[in-house]
Amino acid sequence: MIKKLIVLLTIFVLFGCGSDALSMFKSEMEGSAKNFEGDIHGTYASTYTPLKPENIVIRNATIFDGNGNKFLDYDVYFSDGKIKNLGVDLEVEGAREIDATGKYVTPGIVDNHSHMGVYPAPSVRTSSDGNEATNPVTAEVWAEHSVWSQDPQYKLALAGGVTTFHVLPGSANLFGGRGVTLKNVSANTVPDMKFPDAPHSLKMACGENPKRVYRSRGPSTRMGNVAGYRKAWIGAENHKKRLEREPEHRDIKNETLVGVLDGKILVHNHCYRADEMATMINISQEFGYKVSTFHHAVEAYKIADLLADEGICAALWADWWGFKHEAYDMTIANIAIVDQARGGTGCAIVHSDSESGIQRLNQEAAKALAAGRRAGFEISEARAMTWLTKNPAKSLGILDKTGTLDFGKDADLVIWDGNPFSVYTKAEQVYIDGALTFDKASNFMPHTDFDIGIKEWEEK
Amino acid sequence: MRLIKLLILFSFYLFPHADDMYLLKGGNVFLPNVGFVKKDILIDEGLIISIKDEIDSSISENVINSDGKYITPGLIVFSALGLIEIGALPETIDIRSETYNAGFDPSDAFNPFSQAIRLNRSKGVTSTVNIPSASGYFAGLLSYTKINNGLKQKKQGPLGLLTSYGQSYDDSRAANLMFIEDLFSYVRNGYDSMKADQIQFFYGTDNEYRFTKRDLEAIQKVINKEMPLVVRVNKATDILKVLEMAKSENINLVLWEANEGHMVAEEISKAEVPVIMDPLNNIPGTFDSLNATYENVSRLHNAGVKLAFYYDQSSGVHNAYLATQSAGNAVALGVSYNEALASVTLNPAEIFDIKNVGVIAIGYDADLTIWDNDPLELMTQVETVFIDGSKQDLSNRYDELTERYTKEEELPNSYRSR
Repeated sequence: MIKKLIVLLTIFVLFGCGSDALSMFKSEMEGSAKNFEGDIHGTYASTYTPLKPENIVIRNATIFDGNGNKFLDYDVYFSDGKIKNLGVDLEVEGAREIDATGKYVTPGIVDNHSHMGVYPAPSVRTSSDGNEATNPVTAEVWAEHSVWSQDPQYKLALAGGVTTFHVLPGSANLFGGRGVTLKNVSANTVPDMKFPDAPHSLKMACGENPKRVYRSRGPSTRMGNVAGYRKAWIGAENHKKRLEREPEHRDIKNETLVGVLDGKILVHNHCYRADEMATMINISQEFGYKVSTFHHAVEAYKIADLLADEGICAALWADWWGFKHEAYDMTIANIAIVDQARGGTGCAIVHSDSESGIQRLNQEAAKALAAGRRAGFEISEARAMTWLTKNPAKSLGILDKTGTLDFGKDADLVIWDGNPFSVYTKAEQVYIDGALTFDKASNFMPHTDFDIGIKEWEEK
Repeated sequence: MRLIKLLILFSFYLFPHADDMYLLKGGNVFLPNVGFVKKDILIDEGLIISIKDEIDSSISENVINSDGKYITPGLIVFSALGLIEIGALPETIDIRSETYNAGFDPSDAFNPFSQAIRLNRSKGVTSTVNIPSASGYFAGLLSYTKINNGLKQKKQGPLGLLTSYGQSYDDSRAANLMFIEDLFSYVRNGYDSMKADQIQFFYGTDNEYRFTKRDLEAIQKVINKEMPLVVRVNKATDILKVLEMAKSENINLVLWEANEGHMVAEEISKAEVPVIMDPLNNIPGTFDSLNATYENVSRLHNAGVKLAFYYDQSSGVHNAYLATQSAGNAVALGVSYNEALASVTLNPAEIFDIKNVGVIAIGYDADLTIWDNDPLELMTQVETVFIDGSKQDLSNRYDELTERYTKEEELPNSYRSR
């Protein structure tokens, strides 16, 4: 790969090609590379381009910056799709002014657990594409190849302030396949929605689901599940050795797993019980990979210190429980306990796993915050906002691009008509990469093809 | 002597006790058609006996200072509380029946010690409308249960007969309508009750078509207008068909879910049919709900339809108390505050004619919840709950687990009592 690049660069130097031509050739080269890197950076790379980014200064807002800070009567300035400045009475020329007195501004919400697109609406068998439940190990499938770009649910999440979401395969399998991070924009193709340069992810699942789905052929027990993970990782190690001998050899299942072992693919592990999460950490240590995030993790509070020590995030519901045995030991303080572990170094995330919940993640965070305070923790609203923005962005490997209102990041942000932790508050405007994508007042929002022709009534 | 002691103890467990008189002083009290007003409330022997601007504290030893607090009727939820412990474990579920359908009432299976009951009580719920889920043409009978501490709970019912209408995998919805008409006609014209247990209404072997005497009697009650037919239906055109059917059959009707109700809001209002719904259902999740929208609730409200709310999202079964979140959102979506709060307290009682609950008024059951702030807000906490005048234990498993894992102790947490 590097050799090839040097050869090409030599050619460019010799023939005096410009930088545009270089990048064109570079992408062609990577696109044609039939391997792990070629897949990610070439053939299946993001082709997303933002809508029309504006130069805008939002004035006099209450700002939660996503880093845990709250600023009163602050301005935020963004242009060319990037955050440029936060401050008081910013001097900006040539920007559209928005008066946000009495309003709140936050980073766009990042949901790191969604099945929009792979379980679209309406929910029917013909487009139920989230679980390749034909084998306990399907590391070779990619959620992005199931995503329906015309799912009418995206815009509902957008109206709830969600600017980025991570679509995962379901939890039927030990290894469910790769997940994909999308910008919440309407587009006709999935690559046009893909968050540029977001790392690929791998969905793994513990507990009841795999052992229920495969009970007749195995695994049918939790110990069977663990044997299944370990066998698969040993297979991946063998594949890695083989690649040293046969660099051209392809095995798309093991390419995903080796991508994890090489630290290029982030593990998102569906796991409810504390003891099982600890076992999964052991497995990751045996094979030398890192778990990015445990999802659902109803019992995360039982091992909050361990998660903080290991630098593993927990993506959680505020209050779901009781729908299955491994979700019985619920506490609404779960998110707060994970957040406050080891002197507040825990990484807590409010996730949805729900096409309804994703529309009101701010409300879920409010309930979790209230429970945390009730349990005796002093947690600010600004801190709770990190559960919706910074931490999920970190968990997805895109914190350098979104999740806070830091200089230079994507101008993904929400103007709320009041405090986002109130049940009465609504998102008023949503910007993605500095472009207005939702405006409540004018009813401006994208509509997918599916929406066309359906409406038999007039919106107010 | 020992026996007497036992008897006293036993009766204490059997019946909710309320020999204590309580004075709730200075709270913002939710009164129907008025809203929150600063009042004192006196409760005795399980009932609200006085509501005044000022009641002298000397009248009761038990004064609860409610200054700055909010007092509402206890929440009445629509749920399977006490009937489902763990969703994926059928052995902990008692809302189903393969044997009966229309006549199936799950309320005798009610488990007052369910962890879901404890949680919901601590969140301000004082009673529940039990939702059956039998397989067949009818899901069963709705009933009403208080969720007080202890072994015995007051019940009312049956309140209504639950069924659904709309998309199905087998028969056309037209065929389903024909079947209901034929079945009602069969019952109306006097089925042979002696043979009812032996014969099947249609000679199919499928359970859907089998009706026992108990089932036919339940249908008879609907025909006699002793209770309403409650129909879970979403598509606007289906709602119109159900309204027509109720009119021609001369029965009382309640609509359930009604995601496309906003398209026929005037017709629903004209028929004076109430709607039980979740204002948050805005996803076109089925082809019967393609026009689902956040606007549903305000359009029904503006048309004058009486509404009651439940929380249908995801873990709604165990978190029925989140009906307040649905109600709070309804306010943000254009419903008046008082109506939204009534939709989780008074309206469920009115829709099903549940006696003596749902409102803070003299002579009514003292089912009360005291909140530290606006009851519909997300961060508001419940402070005190009364059911039939009895101050409830609000301990619950989630608080206990929280404490177990947040308190630093020398011994491992499994050695602590809680």
